Amino acid sequence: MKWILFAWKNVMRNKRRSLTAMLITAMGTAAVLIGGGFALFTYESLEEMTARDSGHVVLAAARGFDNDEDVPLQHGLSGAAALATHYATLPGVRAVAPRIQFSGLISNGDKSAVFIGSGVDPALDFRLRGPQLGFVAGEAPGPSDAVPEVAIGDELAKLMKAKVGGSLTLLATTTEGNLNAVDVIVRGIVRTGVPDIDRRLVMTDIRAVQRLLLTDKVGSLAIYLKDTAQTAAMAAQVKATHPELAVRTWGDLAVFYQAVRALYNRIFGILGLIMVVIVAFAMSNTLGMAVVERTREIGTLRAIGTQPGEVVRNFVLEGVAIGAAGAAIGMLAAGATTLALLFAGLEMPPPPGRSAGYPLLLAFSAPLYLGATLVVVALAAAAAWLVSRRAAHKPITEALAHV
Amino acid sequence: MNAPTLELAARASTVRLTDLRKRYRVGDDWAEALKGVSLTAAAGEMVALTGPSGSGKSTLLNLAGLIDTQDAGTREIAGRPVDGLDDAALTSLRREQVGFIFQGFNLVPVMNVADNVEYPLLLLGRAPAERRRKVAEILERTGLTGLAGRLPDALSGGQRQRVAIARALVKSPSLVIADEPTANLDSHTAQQIVDLLRELSHERGAAVVVATHDERMSAHCDRVLRLADGELVDAHGAPTGPAEEKQAKSELIAPHPLTPAPGRGRPTGSLSSTVTRDSATGTSSVKGERQ
Ligand SMILES: Nc1ncnc2c1ncn2[C@@H]1O[C@H](COP(=O)(O)OP(=O)(O)OP(=O)(O)O)[C@@H](O)[C@H]1O
Ligand SMILES: [Mg+2]
Repeated sequence: MKWILFAWKNVMRNKRRSLTAMLITAMGTAAVLIGGGFALFTYESLEEMTARDSGHVVLAAARGFDNDEDVPLQHGLSGAAALATHYATLPGVRAVAPRIQFSGLISNGDKSAVFIGSGVDPALDFRLRGPQLGFVAGEAPGPSDAVPEVAIGDELAKLMKAKVGGSLTLLATTTEGNLNAVDVIVRGIVRTGVPDIDRRLVMTDIRAVQRLLLTDKVGSLAIYLKDTAQTAAMAAQVKATHPELAVRTWGDLAVFYQAVRALYNRIFGILGLIMVVIVAFAMSNTLGMAVVERTREIGTLRAIGTQPGEVVRNFVLEGVAIGAAGAAIGMLAAGATTLALLFAGLEMPPPPGRSAGYPLLLAFSAPLYLGATLVVVALAAAAAWLVSRRAAHKPITEALAHV
Repeated sequence: MNAPTLELAARASTVRLTDLRKRYRVGDDWAEALKGVSLTAAAGEMVALTGPSGSGKSTLLNLAGLIDTQDAGTREIAGRPVDGLDDAALTSLRREQVGFIFQGFNLVPVMNVADNVEYPLLLLGRAPAERRRKVAEILERTGLTGLAGRLPDALSGGQRQRVAIARALVKSPSLVIADEPTANLDSHTAQQIVDLLRELSHERGAAVVVATHDERMSAHCDRVLRLADGELVDAHGAPTGPAEEKQAKSELIAPHPLTPAPGRGRPTGSLSSTVTRDSATGTSSVKGERQ
């Protein structure tokens, strides 16, 4: 305790210099925490976004993800209803949604375009995807026994000059390799924010798709979990109970998420590295000056029986005090920024390949804060050790003669 | 405060330096700072080292205080040979046995008076209660009680040196090294400082070796040794031979403190000394008589 007090008094000896080092450390810490918080928030949002889109764990028949089918649903999943019931009743599972991805031509009678369709359980799927599937007009299509209802992307709607309530025709190749067509009613117009998707998207009741394709198979089953963290466990469980099925997690399917993550990890990794260098430099500079100024005092303390290691320890304590104070200030600043952004409602511009921006928010991560503090304190201690070691071992008579 | 007689006996020859040589490299040449100097000091004895500037006083003190090493010769502290000990062992020995008083006071500016004085006890790992007691005791003894909370910057030179004396003696060391402790003080204050150092070291049974230019200061010491050009000399400036040095030593480690000092015909310095023991208080003191 006495030693810590001694160290703190020494820190306060040159207030301005120590304060400068503290503030540099604080800024470095805050920069890392804010940058890291932004990256983490982005990861979390994308995680949520992709998981809502694809489901946490996706099952298909063997080769179901291979995309090398000769005819639609060649590698489709049969007996999907039983499987869905089985997994839907497991603890931790929110829902199991059957899906069929298909494609074909969409036509309004005058012109046609390629569409990419998604056959879903209408009662389930629109609820699972939540607010991110924004309806520009109309609403989610309902179950369709008579004339199937569809939701289409807003770009596609523009292309087809389609309004809610209007009629369109879907043309697709059946599982038997023939062409089949079905008339549909536009019930809603959606925007995902990804123009490439909005130009082609058609969503409709999976049973209508099965009728169109002449099949009772589904493409995949998407298992939605209550907790994203359980994804790996659920995937493992599926592999164990149904080894004949192909299993993917949302992470495997989220190409965009992986790309962003790799990019941000690199950007913020470099930012962190720069901060480490700056903090290390500020620390060794400040403590180095303190050591030189106190050479005679070091000689005095050594003469009256202080071991070199104890001299170094005192400086390390000083460094840790400066580092910890700086880290604390930095954490407060980052925390305040996180809170302020929560209320500021700032919007980030749309990322590449997207048409909608997203809110500028920072994630608070205790491990990140703890890790940053540990790194800063370790840096300070290492710098102190480095700059005081020589002086602590200097011949005492020399140190005492220092002016 | 009352050092037991037995302890004093064990400390009879607190420091024994024999035939020390030390030279410094100066450019391509060697400067001989010490050319074979021997010195002993007994518990409670205050030995003055005088001599012109550059005569080797500080060099000798540094060797005695174990903060430097000689080129030749041997050293013993409290009956223990110290040559060949590594830095850590020497540091521990200083921590336990040696107190330092510097010309420039060398107090730690961020520590108040009490903390400066406590520091050596902290190094020794003494319990808080013991530290508090000993610090209070020596502050009282050095008249600093009222200044315990002051920072060194807010003290006069004399007060600072009293703090330094308290810091040096709080652990009751065997040996106190003082290099020109009064050089920065006016003569009146210097007087008080010398008296305080002398009294305290007598009380606590510490040998004091003090380098000084100040005649008034050396007059208050038990024995005065003169250095000139790296050698001990007599009052007339003639080098003292090895025989006299041995004799001087035997004076100091005389088993019976009441034995009068022999060799009055040709004393090493201008003073001879006898160690007397006050049987009432159990403390011992060394009285110097001018020849
Ligand atoms: N670090 C050193 N390097 C070179 N020479 C030195 C060094 N220290 C001392 N000397 C030389 O050794 C001799 C003795 O010096 P020392 O400091 O012991 O003298 P001193 O008696 O203490 O003098 P003063 O009364 O001025 O303090 C001098 O000639 C000095 O120049
Ligand atoms: Mg000197």
